[in-house]
Amino acid sequence: MLNFRTLLILLITGLGIWQTGSAAWIHAKARLAQVLLENAWEKTLAGDTAARPWPWADTWPVARLRIPSHDVDVIVLHGDSGRNLAFAPGMAAGSALPGQPGTTLISAHRDTHFKNIADIQPGEQIELETRHGRRAYRVLYTDVVDARHSGITSDPLRDELVLVTCYPFAALVHGGPFRLVIRTEAVSGNDGIARQNSQTTAPLPVALATLY
Amino acid sequence: MRSPRHLVAGLAISLSLLCLTAASAPAVAIGPQESTQGSLWLRAEQNTPYQAAPTLDTRVKMDVTGMLARVQVRQTFHNPGNRWAEGIYVFPLPAQAAVDHLRMIVGERIIEGQIKERAQARKNYQQAKQAGQRASLVEQERPNMFTTSLANIAPGESVSVEIQYQQTVQYSNDAFRLRFPMVVGPRYIPGEALDVEQQVAVFAGTGWAQATTRVVDAARITPAVRHPQQGPINPVSLDIQIDAGMPLAEVSSTYHSIDQRQNAKGQYRIQLAEAQVPADRDFELVWRPEADALPKAAWFVEQKESRHYGLLMLVPPTQHAGTPGIGREVVFVIDTSGSMHGDSIRQARSALLLALDRLTEHDRFNIIRFNNTADSLFSQTERADSNTLTLARQFVRNLEANGGTEMLPALAMALQHEEEAQGIRQVIFLTDGSVGNERELFQLIRKKLGNSRLFPIGIGSAPNSYFMRKAAEYGRGTFTYIGNTADVMEKTSDLFEKLEQPALTDIRIELPSNVNLELLPQRIPDLYAGEPLLLAFHGAELPDWVGVHGQRGEQAWTSRVTLEGGQQGAALASEWGRRKIAGLMTRLHDAENDDTRQALRDEVVSTGLAYHLVSPYTSLVAVDVTPARRQNELLKRHSLQTNLPKGWSYDHVFGLPQTATPAAMHLTTGLLLLLLASIAGLRVRRQSC
Repeated sequence: MLNFRTLLILLITGLGIWQTGSAAWIHAKARLAQVLLENAWEKTLAGDTAARPWPWADTWPVARLRIPSHDVDVIVLHGDSGRNLAFAPGMAAGSALPGQPGTTLISAHRDTHFKNIADIQPGEQIELETRHGRRAYRVLYTDVVDARHSGITSDPLRDELVLVTCYPFAALVHGGPFRLVIRTEAVSGNDGIARQNSQTTAPLPVALATLY
Repeated sequence: MRSPRHLVAGLAISLSLLCLTAASAPAVAIGPQESTQGSLWLRAEQNTPYQAAPTLDTRVKMDVTGMLARVQVRQTFHNPGNRWAEGIYVFPLPAQAAVDHLRMIVGERIIEGQIKERAQARKNYQQAKQAGQRASLVEQERPNMFTTSLANIAPGESVSVEIQYQQTVQYSNDAFRLRFPMVVGPRYIPGEALDVEQQVAVFAGTGWAQATTRVVDAARITPAVRHPQQGPINPVSLDIQIDAGMPLAEVSSTYHSIDQRQNAKGQYRIQLAEAQVPADRDFELVWRPEADALPKAAWFVEQKESRHYGLLMLVPPTQHAGTPGIGREVVFVIDTSGSMHGDSIRQARSALLLALDRLTEHDRFNIIRFNNTADSLFSQTERADSNTLTLARQFVRNLEANGGTEMLPALAMALQHEEEAQGIRQVIFLTDGSVGNERELFQLIRKKLGNSRLFPIGIGSAPNSYFMRKAAEYGRGTFTYIGNTADVMEKTSDLFEKLEQPALTDIRIELPSNVNLELLPQRIPDLYAGEPLLLAFHGAELPDWVGVHGQRGEQAWTSRVTLEGGQQGAALASEWGRRKIAGLMTRLHDAENDDTRQALRDEVVSTGLAYHLVSPYTSLVAVDVTPARRQNELLKRHSLQTNLPKGWSYDHVFGLPQTATPAAMHLTTGLLLLLLASIAGLRVRRQSC
């Protein structure tokens, strides 16, 4: 018998499945994309400047970020639009490329790709691999900022990597204004390694859509 | 007791409301101990050995005689740190500025700048810098963007760099206008990054953007932008003297409040009401002659080393034709990139709505909006009837500014049309022009213009005036600025009057055959109602008459002007040199092969050197040979920050992305709902048993 009460229970069950499903889908997308990106990353290392991970993608892998002490090993996409961050951490368009003077800015979601870095400490090592080789960075300090009032300006006189994610990590509701900013500096002596793969002269596929 | 059914229903509704609103939920409350609002910069500076960058103070003096302005810009760099400093400052000047003078002032000493080929000037500067001598270098990045470099400022010391330029004052619609831009708005840099090795080879710069395939000097045109939260920097003061040569009805400043005094000779002295303002928006001074003193022609002459220079302004009489008979085809293009966020998009929206009101049912129209992507309201132009206009207004009201400034596809879309289209086709382009790839855009306009005419409307507090001016020139249209929401009405009606009135086209200049002289511009642009014709002459002697022939709608129009005497103008030679370089640069950009380009480049260099002018290939350099810094003391390089233009939104230019997903919220809501459903299900079963 399909009375009002049964309908209501079915409706609530439906809503419940929809909500849990959405949550599962977000996590699945974040993981699945990394698997698909693996292939595109190999092509990038082989010299493809804009290896699209899936045919309709408007972005491509630019780096691989490893933080061994926090079990982070992710492929980073070009651009940090909301759509990209669903799949992978994003390197802000307009960031300096690793090895160039300036600030390299990478953002990711606090509850997917950066979920393990809540307690990152000064001195810890971060590795960033690009088509031109690997570079090591050391965490200088972390800071919590209000994104409504501050941004990250690229400082051309430094060689630094900045990681950004939402804060606090345990918040139930997303869309908050606070960001955890992890400031790092390149470990000296990088330059020898940085060039190991740079036989190709084609431009790196990092477009500078920086300025909006 | 309440029925459990109600309880269940109530809970379900509130929960589903919760999950619907979760996506747009505002910030979660966080105690102050967890947040350190906006302290990022300060702390970063404390933590590092970086010392405070030099500060900058700019004093501007303008002397206006008739329609010529002589401007002196004195930039004083102060080094507050305890180490020797080098300051690099990227700043704007009017696109028509002929920079012909540089002086470096160190205490009592004044060192005059020399004009050199750009590479040589830079070499001289570098050598002096390394030798510990004070040196300054002024380079041109764009016709309206320059860089001052100043080396070896001692700890606690102030050094001034003074540049001088010449410009003509714009006269249109019975008013003189003089703009002084103060800040370079952050530019959008399209293209793919060049490799590290290529960048060094091309241009070293200190900007926030990397050189790209499409903007090879990106790092030189993108000075670091200070977060507005940190307060304004780079104060500017202005002191203006106007000798208009005719009685004035009114002198006013468009965006700043001013103090004005008039002396017995009828000269005006203008100063800012506040002694200093932050360099964050254009300054514009407007003066209107009394109605019976409106100039119809002006003739300035200068003789320099047996060469004569002349500048002629002619105002063709306006003819008030009735409403235009044939319908027009109007395409509106509106920039909805992030740099337009805030005041600018509001100004653009209201200008566009006013423009729509002026369309009649004889007209056809379309609207194109763009940021990273471009799309149009209709697939092709539609007749302006009440249906299409309603759709258009709806479309305009919903426009929001966000994202990049990929202008090329939007312009290509606007200029694409049937070759044989009848009547007038007008493209009205609302933008702040905050792009670094100007050249590419000019090429497109030149190639695709056909029978369209392009009318840029410069929006916002610091539009890229070089882009507006040049786009109008290539697009054979005219440009307008809107800098205040309050101006929108007046400025758009001005523009529309121009659009609706017949322009003077196919203009040809006739000169006496026995006089050997050069005339600029080589191709005379079309004139719109209220606009004057400006001609520059150079030769062994000047003509005693000039004939102007043109086409006004269907009718031929001719006028002959007798040139006698003429008012002595200062630095007309600089004015001539600048116009010559501008003409050469246009030809260089349009040139098809490398040999032509090289030849034109050489000509720019020789013109720059001959007229002592800063150009893309010549720079002014001043070196104080007195040694200052000892070799064992270090020199620290600083690129000076600029303000964000007034009314711009930092977040929409350099914002941080959203970095959390709604997954946790979805999961919690979902599980709660499932729990609720199972409790309710159990109850139902128990009752029915």
